[in-house]
Amino acid sequence: MNANNIIKSLTEKFPNEILEPNVESNIRISSYVDKDAIVNVCKHLLETLEFDHLSCECGVDYPDRNEIEVVYHIASYSHPVVLTLKAKLDRDEPQIESIVSIYWNANWYERETYELYGVKYTNHPDLKPLLLPEDMLGEWPLRKDYEGFPNKTAKNLV
Amino acid sequence: MEQTIAPSEMLLHLGPQHAIQPGPYLLDLKLRGETVVDAELEMGYIHKGIEKILENKTYLQGITITDRICYLAALTNNEVFCNCVEKLVGIEPPQRSQYIRVIMEELSRIQSHLLGIGEFSTDLGFVTMFLYMIREREEVLSLIDMVTGSRITHSYLRFGGVREDLPEGFAEKAMSVLNDINKKLDEHEDLYNTDKIYLQRTVGVGVLTAKIASDLGVSGPPLRAAGVAFDIRKNEPYLVYNDLDFKVCTEKEGDIFARIKVRLDEIRESIYIIEQAFDQIPQGPLFPVGTPYGRRTPVMRVPAGEVFCRVEDPRGEMGMYMISDGSDKPYRVKIRGPVFPTMQALPPLIKGTYVADVAAIAASMDGCTSEADR
Repeated sequence: MNANNIIKSLTEKFPNEILEPNVESNIRISSYVDKDAIVNVCKHLLETLEFDHLSCECGVDYPDRNEIEVVYHIASYSHPVVLTLKAKLDRDEPQIESIVSIYWNANWYERETYELYGVKYTNHPDLKPLLLPEDMLGEWPLRKDYEGFPNKTAKNLV
Repeated sequence: MEQTIAPSEMLLHLGPQHAIQPGPYLLDLKLRGETVVDAELEMGYIHKGIEKILENKTYLQGITITDRICYLAALTNNEVFCNCVEKLVGIEPPQRSQYIRVIMEELSRIQSHLLGIGEFSTDLGFVTMFLYMIREREEVLSLIDMVTGSRITHSYLRFGGVREDLPEGFAEKAMSVLNDINKKLDEHEDLYNTDKIYLQRTVGVGVLTAKIASDLGVSGPPLRAAGVAFDIRKNEPYLVYNDLDFKVCTEKEGDIFARIKVRLDEIRESIYIIEQAFDQIPQGPLFPVGTPYGRRTPVMRVPAGEVFCRVEDPRGEMGMYMISDGSDKPYRVKIRGPVFPTMQALPPLIKGTYVADVAAIAASMDGCTSEADR
């Protein structure tokens, strides 16, 4: 399994959904993905390209661009290539379809991203906070404009 | 988990404070008789917000924070953090530093596995073994202490190298301790293999097959015990692991016994790696020559970019995703610990087992709540 072949297969299958594919090295690929196509892309990755291991899923906040990116690191148990998929979401109402039906262990990563960034995952089996208490829901602590709870802690500590 | 409980069922809270747990988490079990019919894991009791703290610390300060993710794997946590920064900056540690890192990380793997096996044995009521393992582990910790100056949270790695060189006579001291451990390990394994109660409680219990383990995203010893030879040191070699000869320890059964066997074998393999590293370690500088990186790295700015690094933690695949915006602090750090998916796999694994086996299964996964919660 070769990085260039993977990119080729992806762009052929999804010409409009896979944007700015980039081969960083022979074991690292990154690409933007249209947020509506994420489930289909993941299904293709799992079924034909041996990407059977969701290594990591997280959010990144970009207040300047008014965007939240959801970043998927998809790896494999059989080859060393790691694919970084990024989906851009609107920061005011971030929403994306859940990939739990494809990768089972996305469940907790999505719950974590939900409580820390406020990304709503549709079709998630049980979307509720994982690490934080229920009453912190709506604070979205890992967003860059988070002020601290309750209005103190980490803000002035460097 | 369905909260409705039939008259013949019972809800049991295991935790958040319980003697069998490596850290605070809450395991809700729904029991019918003695069988677990449903389970749910709740965590967050030791959430430290390390990802947010790292965004507010300079890169150099960040090293000490990564120690605190999990003190058993402090050196590998340092490694993955330094690895990310080194890749962003574009430097590579000199050969001698890479060998020192390998030696220290394998020592750290040995002590983590020893404690993991020891804690597991206590949960089975095999307290003798815990004392043996702790005795052995203390020797290894003294070795690490000799080099880094501290037993658990070392902050030993620096960008582009390591803080201190190996002290004089370290190789001889280390090999005598490790050969001793190697011998004692055979005796301990005999004790395990001949103990009838131990065998009854571990063989065929908590079976995680290769297909299910990889579907659940598990890595490390629980996965290798199921027969999948997945090891970042082999799959995606970092440091000088390419020049060292070692095998990925696997078993086929995927039960508790196999998981402990894999850990015991990995200790032997780590000793073998350290032995080779001592033979092959070259002389030379600890930091790349001609760069500002050294023991006293000043306030540094890291070029903008992003990187995802993986290393093999004692417990599995440790990954870190770092985004830099060109300032002296990381823009975003995501820590992908190996225990997070392992803990996630626990509720489906204990479904259908006896409640008495829950402790043994949970301990055999070698979870670390501190790392899962971060």
